Amino acid sequence: MLDFSPAVSFYRSTKARGVGLSRQAVESSARVAPDAPVPSAGTPAVRAEAIRKSFGDNVVLDAVDLTVGAGQVLVVIGPSGSGKSTLLRCINLLEPIDSGRIFFEGQEITARGVKVDQVRQRIGIVFQQFNLFPHLKVIDNLTLAARRVGKVPRAEAGLRALDLLKLVGLEDKTRQYPHQLSGGQQQRVAIARALMMAPHVMLFDEVTSALDPELVGEVLIVMRDLARSGMTMIVVTHEMQFARDVGDHLMFIDEGRIVEQGKPADVLDHPKEERTLRFLRRSLQLAESLEELTVGEVESHEEGGRE
Amino acid sequence: MSLIASFEWSFIWENRGVFLDGLWETLKVSAIGVVGAFGVGVVLGAARAHRVPVVSQLAAVYVEVIRNTPILVQVFFVYFGLSEPPFNIRLPAFTAAWLMLVIWGGAFSTENFRAGFEAVPYRYREAGRALGFGRLTTFLNVTLPIGGRIALPSSINTSISVLKNSALIGPAISLPELTYQAYSLESVSFRATEIYFTLALIYLAVVWVLSGLIRALEARLALPEARRVRTRRQQRFQEAV
Repeated sequence: MLDFSPAVSFYRSTKARGVGLSRQAVESSARVAPDAPVPSAGTPAVRAEAIRKSFGDNVVLDAVDLTVGAGQVLVVIGPSGSGKSTLLRCINLLEPIDSGRIFFEGQEITARGVKVDQVRQRIGIVFQQFNLFPHLKVIDNLTLAARRVGKVPRAEAGLRALDLLKLVGLEDKTRQYPHQLSGGQQQRVAIARALMMAPHVMLFDEVTSALDPELVGEVLIVMRDLARSGMTMIVVTHEMQFARDVGDHLMFIDEGRIVEQGKPADVLDHPKEERTLRFLRRSLQLAESLEELTVGEVESHEEGGRE
Repeated sequence: MSLIASFEWSFIWENRGVFLDGLWETLKVSAIGVVGAFGVGVVLGAARAHRVPVVSQLAAVYVEVIRNTPILVQVFFVYFGLSEPPFNIRLPAFTAAWLMLVIWGGAFSTENFRAGFEAVPYRYREAGRALGFGRLTTFLNVTLPIGGRIALPSSINTSISVLKNSALIGPAISLPELTYQAYSLESVSFRATEIYFTLALIYLAVVWVLSGLIRALEARLALPEARRVRTRRQQRFQEAV
């Protein structure tokens, strides 16, 4: 297992001393909420109240509430178009919400006058399509934000980047461009890039959906280890095994509403709602029928060979 | 061949100073024009692509006016039109010339860069925003480097046109650049064939150098995707050897 806890705690501690993310960044993160209460142990990392979001007439999120405690992993599943990705993007303020409130460590970030850019530095996000900057080498993809936003000197940012690349097993790829890497490697770089800003929460938006099946594992392992190191995470995924193993809480969303939630094993094994059952059955059926299809094909080929 | 041999080439050689003076003036005015056009194009192209209120609309009008009127009309307006009341702005010929080239090239450059910036996939900008970049930081570090590369090939054409347009502006406002010098020389010597043949060769050489320079810049900045194609070809070559 890769151990991220030194990284997570290292960045937390250096940040507190004003070294890692520079004093300015620490002060600016405090400036996000001058009157915000100091997050106590009980304050959830992320809390959303009745968020509603529509694109035109299309209601994408309808009265969604969620709470993620510090160090917890919330897994969100649901059919495509159900609003899962929009939910993540709303939490990161990449999409403005129509109504409702979102709190980050006790402070309302959907309030007026909140410095959006500074909130985003505390909430990392990893995208389905990696979105690495194509014109920058791996090392510069990692250090860019630290240098431009955190005003960290290049050498210092480079050392931190190298530490993180070691954790995701890519320290030998620093001088490569994104397109010279496999999808799995690119996604691991993207995770490391998001960690550079020492976020308190990480959002994962179907990060393995664009990957070849054999590359999914290497990314999931990094995410699992990150979760075990105490990172607060919200994970949108279709990987049910990952949801079961790593998730503390699971939420099934359909048509912009939370249909069912609870412990991952409970929801996956004993869904209470008909819609959840149908969704889970369909994902399983698909897997089985494809398997049958391929097995059948292989057999027929073998038969043909015998004749 | 006999035709060319019958030219009095010694005449050109004897008057090389006139050509060189003109060339120097052409290079000066075109250099300012090309660089200035890039600057105008990046700023207004960004305003257009990001739909900055007011600036974007003004830029659209500017581009329309410049693209749809003859450059001679534009230069006459700037040089003669502005010198009369109520403007009373009398620009030296050199200033009017480079200003006109910047204005003219800037309009075309604005379109080049607008297209380039708009071609940058939104997800890259979003990745920047997600890392806490402000709008300007996102533009400077994401949209400009990616979209600027996309805009470079079309900028070669614009830059060449800027340089060639100096040949229209020079004679129009008596700026002693290359074409004006050649024209003056012809009007006293009547050796039109030799003079304009030479003039064309000089322009050809200068344009080749200019487009070569921009292509070199393009190759140097080429995105890794493009570069990888070359590397693969090199690899295959090495394997074959």
